[in-house]
Amino acid sequence: MAGGLPHPQFIVPAILESVGVHVPVHVAYTWVVMLLLFTIGILVRKNLTLVPGKLQNVFELIIGGLENFCVANVGEKGREIFHVIVILFLFILPCNWFGLIPGLDAPTANVNTNAALALFLFLYYNWIGIKKWGFGYIKHFMGPVPAMAPLMIILEFISHLARPLSLTLRLFGNIKGEEIVLILMFMLAPIVGSLPMYFLFMLAKFIQAFIFFMLGMIYLKGSLDHAH
Amino acid sequence: MLFGSKDKKKSVLTPLADVGTMGMHLVVSTFIGLGMGWYLDKWLGTKPWLLLVFLVLGIVAGFRNMFQEVRRLNRQDAGEDGHDRTSDKG
Repeated sequence: MAGGLPHPQFIVPAILESVGVHVPVHVAYTWVVMLLLFTIGILVRKNLTLVPGKLQNVFELIIGGLENFCVANVGEKGREIFHVIVILFLFILPCNWFGLIPGLDAPTANVNTNAALALFLFLYYNWIGIKKWGFGYIKHFMGPVPAMAPLMIILEFISHLARPLSLTLRLFGNIKGEEIVLILMFMLAPIVGSLPMYFLFMLAKFIQAFIFFMLGMIYLKGSLDHAH
Repeated sequence: MLFGSKDKKKSVLTPLADVGTMGMHLVVSTFIGLGMGWYLDKWLGTKPWLLLVFLVLGIVAGFRNMFQEVRRLNRQDAGEDGHDRTSDKG
């Protein structure tokens, strides 16, 4: 909770501070999310069985569902790039939800975290395009009519640059806004005001993580497909 | 299913996500154009002109983006009742 408002107590940075490690709040919580993901990943991996247990079942549901969704939209070649965007989803989701736990803060409520994620996605889909099409990747920027190509290159350049910026700002604006609303509602009416908001924001934060995943999928589809 | 499964391509979240992205992209494209014009002007010393040109280009790019998005959604709608959505490439 808190959305960077000055007052509340953050547990993890306080612990790190006492050990002598000085990191910003969002970096500290990014580490916590990483630790969480690594732990769960190792746990699931260690107990892999043919007949899935509880934890494995949950992950098979999430990852299997997302994989089917990805393959339905991108086609069979979606399996090559699926692992990258699903880890983006799995990383952003706990990042967003951390904002709802008192004493923790959402790393994605800071622009820097989101900018790093969006820039990574931007570089990745362009790299995939260049790897697949070589120099012919430039055809993706030229549009269907050769005569219009110089204009189209500038237009496409602008709209491609807009992608990471809009990814960053959308995630940041939503998460930060929700945190601020939450703390304001808490000030107004501690239980009655903020408890219903929790359910709404749990859904909203999930949707934001899903949007990031879906946009990544659409961009990757764009660079994997033929130019128009 | 929440994410929409392979045989049934309908999902609760997809349309929400689709609509949620459009407005942002339109605005951000405009600002990217504006920013490019601003810095090119600073670099080349052609004070107001490139800014204006690139602002217009940014707006055009934003609207073009939205147009493409709508076309993609239309295609998806058409794909849902009949043939495979992934088979037609724009």
